[in-house]
Amino acid sequence: MDKYEKLEKVGEGTYGKVYKAKEKATGQIVALKKTRLEMDEEGVPPTALREVSLLQMLSQSIYIVRLLSVEHVDKVPKSAPASATTKPLLYLVFEYLDTDLKKFIDSHRKGSNPRPLPPALIQSFLFQLCKGVAHCHSHGVLHRDLKPQNLLLDQKKGILKIADLGLGRAFTVPLKSYTHEIVTLWYRAPEVLLGTTHYSTGVDMWSVGCIFAEMVRRQALFPGDSEFQQLLNIFKILGTPTEEQWPGVTSLRDWHTYPKWEPQNLARTVPTLGPDGVDLLTKMLKYNPAERISAKAALDHPYFDSLDKSQF
Amino acid sequence: MEFDLENPLDNSHALLQWDAVASLFHIESQHTPSHTYFHSLKASNFNISVRRELISLISKFSCSLDPLVSYLSINYLDRFLSNHGILKQKAWALRLLAISCISLASKMIKPGYSAIDTQALLMNDGGIIFETQTMQRMEGLILGALEWRMRSITPFSFLTFFITLICVKHPMEQVLKKRVAEIIFKSQGEIKLLEFKPSIIAASALLCASHELFPFQYQSFSAAISNCLYVKKENMVKCYNVIQEVVGMEMEEEECVINEVSSSGTPVNVLDLDHKFSLSSESEKTNNNGGMAIVVDDDDEEALQEKKDFIINKRRKMNNNNNNQTVHVSRIAQC
Repeated sequence: MDKYEKLEKVGEGTYGKVYKAKEKATGQIVALKKTRLEMDEEGVPPTALREVSLLQMLSQSIYIVRLLSVEHVDKVPKSAPASATTKPLLYLVFEYLDTDLKKFIDSHRKGSNPRPLPPALIQSFLFQLCKGVAHCHSHGVLHRDLKPQNLLLDQKKGILKIADLGLGRAFTVPLKSYTHEIVTLWYRAPEVLLGTTHYSTGVDMWSVGCIFAEMVRRQALFPGDSEFQQLLNIFKILGTPTEEQWPGVTSLRDWHTYPKWEPQNLARTVPTLGPDGVDLLTKMLKYNPAERISAKAALDHPYFDSLDKSQF
Repeated sequence: MEFDLENPLDNSHALLQWDAVASLFHIESQHTPSHTYFHSLKASNFNISVRRELISLISKFSCSLDPLVSYLSINYLDRFLSNHGILKQKAWALRLLAISCISLASKMIKPGYSAIDTQALLMNDGGIIFETQTMQRMEGLILGALEWRMRSITPFSFLTFFITLICVKHPMEQVLKKRVAEIIFKSQGEIKLLEFKPSIIAASALLCASHELFPFQYQSFSAAISNCLYVKKENMVKCYNVIQEVVGMEMEEEECVINEVSSSGTPVNVLDLDHKFSLSSESEKTNNNGGMAIVVDDDDEEALQEKKDFIINKRRKMNNNNNNQTVHVSRIAQC
């Protein structure tokens, strides 16, 4: 790790702190992410080996943040007593991007010059997001924690990349991150909130739908602060799901009897979005995960017809 | 999820996703040793002998494991040597490198990995064992050299794809796959193959196996595979010839041993052959049994008509008799 000079803490990843750092030899700016993948007495644990190598393989796509290298650290922290036994840690070194979609949306909502995101930019970002998600899904990987904070942007080039990926399966998505910060529920699919044990690619598509709406609205579509509140927020807009709409929903582990809300017109929640966009959003927010549009199919949706796809 | 060589991308949602296959062809070159490595081996007998020694160490240590572990270990080994260079090494260092490759491959493939098992491989062999820290350091060195690209793309990654192209249906598909796997295992040590991409090796090994098993359909299979966008036909032909040579040598070795068996009538060392023939555990176990009388039973006569079957039956028979330590001899002369 002496190869890198830490510049500043840029965030709290789901699994640990993220630092902006400079590689001393080349001057390249990178993102250093500490993982909780500890080395044990058997060396690199098999889960770490499998997950990191999967991440390494996925990060070949331009829509995924590139993993540059993996570093072992087995230095004793200065503050630790001399007798402390250290478990070497793994750091992942990623390419550094200067901003993320959350900061980008915030900058359009708050500050001196609040303004909507340009519709062409929303279209382009959503297309790149679907490309990245399709890439993960075709490789058998679910992200499971897609949210604007995890979508990094290269503003100059107008590129969006998915981050914080791949380590998902060794550790189930935690409710609280290691710093006890509450992990956001806003993008979580209803089947996950209702405690389903078998979920699939649909969980990511739900999140993509929420992110799409948020780019248009500049505020979250379903901001809930508990799992129960989160469900109610969803039901109030999309209506309380029925067995007809979503067979098996009432048998899910955490299903309770809820007030019966009627579905609202989704277009009203995204007033500036055209009919094609609303149609795509509706397909991403289908209750029944089996009916939810796939990332690959979304790429061919008429909403993207006006996009110059040759640039991707 | 354990790493599956046939499915390096861990694609559990569909048996075969064409996008994912395309990306395999796209990135396979990142998982192969460099051309410099191939040339450095061709240029130096010393380098060849070091590689050969390492491969034989890996085969020896891993003989009780799934042959895929051994295969993956040798893949890591070649990529490590390619990156790191081949240096004059002490015997213990070669041993450390070999066992560390196996340990990493086991961690990727085996469901319940344990470091104790890896130590046991060294202990069974009776030679030096290493402290876990030493092994960890070596593992770290290998991981660094391989840039953590541990989901190797190997010929196995392309098998399902190519078999789909030639439309062989169950149960022949299984028979074919098994033979292709044997061919791929056997040709891994051949340095001439280091020149080819894994997909080309897969296509060529598949054609080789089809030539043996379905000679009448060979032409149409060959055409189907050559038509594939990702396959460069001239490379495939070259690679096919190399693999044919390897397989041809195997046949000759078998014939040679069969002749020996037939002429002598006394226990001969079929086991040597058996050892060469496979990476599987059984052969080694039998070897460890020490002085064993080798015999051919009556019912082996028919099997002898087919050289391969002979060897396979032989091995099975020896395995069945493993506990007895001896195999009863009869009528070897008739063979």
